[in-house]
Amino acid sequence: MANDDTIYYTAGLPVPETPAEGQAPEPWQQTDLIGKPLPRVDGYARVSGSAVYPSDILLPGMLYGAILRCPHPHALVRKVDSATAAKMPGVRAILTGESMETQGVRWNYQDRQVALFDAHCRFEGEEIAAVAADSWYQAADAVRAIAVDYEVLPFVADYEKALDQNAAKVGDEGNLVGEDSHQRGSVEQGFAAADTVLEETYRTSSELQTPVELHGCVADWDGSRLTLWESSQGVFAVQSTIAGVLGLPLARVRVIGHYVGGGFGSKLQPGKYTAICALLAKKAAKPVKLLLTREETYLCVGNRPPNTMRLKAGVTRDGRLTALDFDCIGPSGAYPAGGAQLVDWLVRDLYRCDNVRTTSRDVLINAGPARPFRAPGHPQGAWALEQMIDELAGKIGMDPVELRLKNISETSQGRENNPPYTSTGLRECLTKGAEEFRWQSSLAKIKEFNRQSAHVKRGVGVAACLWIAGGGDPPSTVIVKLFKDGSINLNMGASDIGTGTKTVMALVVAEELGVQPSVIQIEHADTATTQFATPSGGSKTVPTEAPAVRNAAIALKQELLRMAAEDLQVDRQELVYTGKEIVSRRDPNKKIPITEITRLKKRGEVIGVGYRGPNPEGKAVTPFAAQFCELEVDTLTGEIGLLRFLGVHDSGRVMNRLTYDNQVYGGIVMGIGFGLTEERRLDERQTGKLCNRNWHDYKLPTALDIPREMASLPIEMGDRECNNTGAKGLGEPVTIPTAAAIANALHMATGIRFTSAPVTPMEVIRKLTRREG
Amino acid sequence: MLPKFSYVRPDMLSNAVKHLQAEGAALHAGGTDLLGCLRERIIACDKIVSISGLTELAGIKTTPGGGLRIGTLTTITELAENATVRTNFPGLAGAAAEVASPQLRNQGTVGGNLCQKPRCWYYRGDFHCLRKGGDRCFAMAGENQFHAIFGHDHICAIVHPSDTAPMLVALDAKALVTGPQGERTIAVADLHVLPAVNVRAETVLGQGEIITHIEVPPPAKGLSTSYRKIRARQSWDFSLAGAALALVREGDKVVRANIVLSGAAPIPWRSREAEQLLTGHPLTDDSIAAAAQAAVAGAQPLRANGYKIAMFQGMLKEELHKVKKGKNEEAG
Repeated sequence: MANDDTIYYTAGLPVPETPAEGQAPEPWQQTDLIGKPLPRVDGYARVSGSAVYPSDILLPGMLYGAILRCPHPHALVRKVDSATAAKMPGVRAILTGESMETQGVRWNYQDRQVALFDAHCRFEGEEIAAVAADSWYQAADAVRAIAVDYEVLPFVADYEKALDQNAAKVGDEGNLVGEDSHQRGSVEQGFAAADTVLEETYRTSSELQTPVELHGCVADWDGSRLTLWESSQGVFAVQSTIAGVLGLPLARVRVIGHYVGGGFGSKLQPGKYTAICALLAKKAAKPVKLLLTREETYLCVGNRPPNTMRLKAGVTRDGRLTALDFDCIGPSGAYPAGGAQLVDWLVRDLYRCDNVRTTSRDVLINAGPARPFRAPGHPQGAWALEQMIDELAGKIGMDPVELRLKNISETSQGRENNPPYTSTGLRECLTKGAEEFRWQSSLAKIKEFNRQSAHVKRGVGVAACLWIAGGGDPPSTVIVKLFKDGSINLNMGASDIGTGTKTVMALVVAEELGVQPSVIQIEHADTATTQFATPSGGSKTVPTEAPAVRNAAIALKQELLRMAAEDLQVDRQELVYTGKEIVSRRDPNKKIPITEITRLKKRGEVIGVGYRGPNPEGKAVTPFAAQFCELEVDTLTGEIGLLRFLGVHDSGRVMNRLTYDNQVYGGIVMGIGFGLTEERRLDERQTGKLCNRNWHDYKLPTALDIPREMASLPIEMGDRECNNTGAKGLGEPVTIPTAAAIANALHMATGIRFTSAPVTPMEVIRKLTRREG
Repeated sequence: MLPKFSYVRPDMLSNAVKHLQAEGAALHAGGTDLLGCLRERIIACDKIVSISGLTELAGIKTTPGGGLRIGTLTTITELAENATVRTNFPGLAGAAAEVASPQLRNQGTVGGNLCQKPRCWYYRGDFHCLRKGGDRCFAMAGENQFHAIFGHDHICAIVHPSDTAPMLVALDAKALVTGPQGERTIAVADLHVLPAVNVRAETVLGQGEIITHIEVPPPAKGLSTSYRKIRARQSWDFSLAGAALALVREGDKVVRANIVLSGAAPIPWRSREAEQLLTGHPLTDDSIAAAAQAAVAGAQPLRANGYKIAMFQGMLKEELHKVKKGKNEEAG
């Protein structure tokens, strides 16, 4: 058994007060672990390679699956002939739309239901057949040997033409998925009251989701019970979707996802591949591993839709926004998937403005469906709004930081009834950020640099944001289990998608109970053995799970206090939990070490159950941010060099400074990709097929594309209302303003507004030389 | 996944040549490009002949006068880091250092870099294009922002992906080739093939022919070399516009100028017009501007790659000014 020194770090340090039952805990005051730069609890496992990801799973007798996909953006499958494939070496099971196993199996794209293998293929990469074989190579070869007779149909790839009269019809009911709008005040009156009115059209490109670990799973049947190891952001979402598709009770579908090699939204849900893998395993009566290839992930697992946005804005000469009029269009892809979702949210909510009108149109095109991608809609909206604010500031001769400060809102105007935010650190993000970045002195330095430099020009830029979610929500249920030697088991359903969830939750338990994080064993992300949790997405995992973890630890302490009261024969109210022991307030000699509590010793363990309570009524819990960047542009060659970046984030309490800063840097890197390098290219004029489906042609930024100097400055407002930990979401706001800050710096450097993302050297040269191609 | 093939790894060059004569045989050196080509099924191949065992073909030797004899199996990293290369031909070391990513440079070979297949996304992708035996070049009317502005003749618009080839052309390097008919020497400048000559091949090498060495003549007195590459991201990417420069000067006067563009054409693209304008005169603002202009004068841009004209022009200006400034600094 462990000895006390390895278990309790506190040795004399106070642990947080245990509230009486039914009472909410006070916010932490001074913390010993929370907020400190402590390494990840699973860092060694991840770095050493001992962590087992779903891709690593090997089961006895396991087969490998591969999927045949439609090579055309729009086609009807007339005939599938798998006779040759069936005779190939190692082939154990083949599924097509004709197979008995796939009859009646339906897949949902939001409200549209389709067959698992639908003869009407509406995007390149739709599933047509699948094979399980002894090796992956055999499976892939057999897939190639399946002959398909296609009737190739006309396609539409350009979303701006999707609503044209003569555009090919993607869906049976036309290409308009839906329209959304928001209106408050009167934009006409707002523009009339403005001293300056500007209007601009902005475009962003489609970003493809490409997490390092490929999408996929391993499926294994034990009689009528299915176990899936899936690379997933949420095992319970996989469980409910697959149970629904296969018509199984939830109790017969176990999903395990301990580690996941990256998920930015595309792994919030399983894919058709998950159901296909399960059916292959059933047919072959053997476990099957099915991992998509990189090319398949580019075609099928989702994207950030491209958007075209028009924004007209009015401002008074003293810097008050009078009106914002915004409309945008974006494609869902071949099925409804939120092609223009939340693109208008920053226009609605970020700055104080009485007269706002937004419309968003979502259309279908013959391309892979979108999926929520790290802060859906927001980086696009920031690209438009934050460049417009910068432009307005220039027109009225006001510093862009100052103009933003003049329009800060204390309430969430985009929501019904205009609720106040529990906290907004937007002002501090801007002012403290400007100070840290040396904004004012940088402006002067840059002016001087640009005066002396012939063709290399520098600029600084700022952009701000908020993120619509990030407050977290119920439900969450967490169990903290104390063993009789004082060591702990933390049991929760949430996935750790690389953001440090496990580390943060272990710190919450350690802080609350006064134990070393290293004696906390974490059980998570397994539908059979842990509690229900929603997927890790929306920047809500910490604000959703951490309060429940804290409540569980408190419940455990309360239980221990009751038990100790029996041992010590005193009233429970008299006792204090100190970590190592429970002591009487009145008589310090009256005490009992935790591990000596009779009922703990008898039972072998004591558990505390915690639930996520409701969010504060009538308030919005919202993270805010501002980012600053400095860059230089070679105006002869179009090359952009990022010199430095600062991310200033109000995401409430910092739970772990290392994983916090990691998120900030990672978000900025992803934002750099959105702003400078990444774009889906469809062969719009000829075949409609995807041109860039590998890591060379689809250009993620590399280590050399990010600035050497990156810094993170947390803003902590001491939010007492958002939840019992004071933490708000961080994972998404970190990538929202990045590209817009770059664009604003580019404008300062070149005098040119780069309204289309990404801004490649090609685009810089085109703009500088005013040519189209 | 890969086509079915047999694999041989001869320990003598003559055996490698023999094996390679068979129809459908493909040569393996570093394999970084070959494996991708096999996986993407862009070459038909039923036999892999690996020359990775021919250790005598690896390494760099200095020849009398300071020239180079580079074994075909020399890795790109070795070329980038070799002391003689860095001293005598900094442009060649620089070109090697600009190739791909550290991992690929560690594995990829000099011979392979010269003989690599184009990176056109239609050629590499699921498109039955002219170069793969289809009936059209998709880049002509398609997504051609990365494609050629010279030498495509509206037949096929690939750009040659090599960074070392343009520099070797600029250095008047020669490829020593061994084949079924024995040995021959090909100027690197004559190694690559325009689509108008043969749209199915990238080099003049015949079946069974292997580049064994590259010879770089000793540096002339007054030689300055440099390689510049503009790309859409800073690592693991090919050239949008690049230039290999080898200028020989006597005093201020340019007596020899070799300018070879990368990312411009289906072959390393020598810019004779610019070379002529610079030769015989000192580098001046005017001569540099005129040469940069001349280098792009005959361009035939496609729909989305016209930016390359200004990019090449701007880049050449910048690079030639660096040469000019370097000279002044040396003199001062």
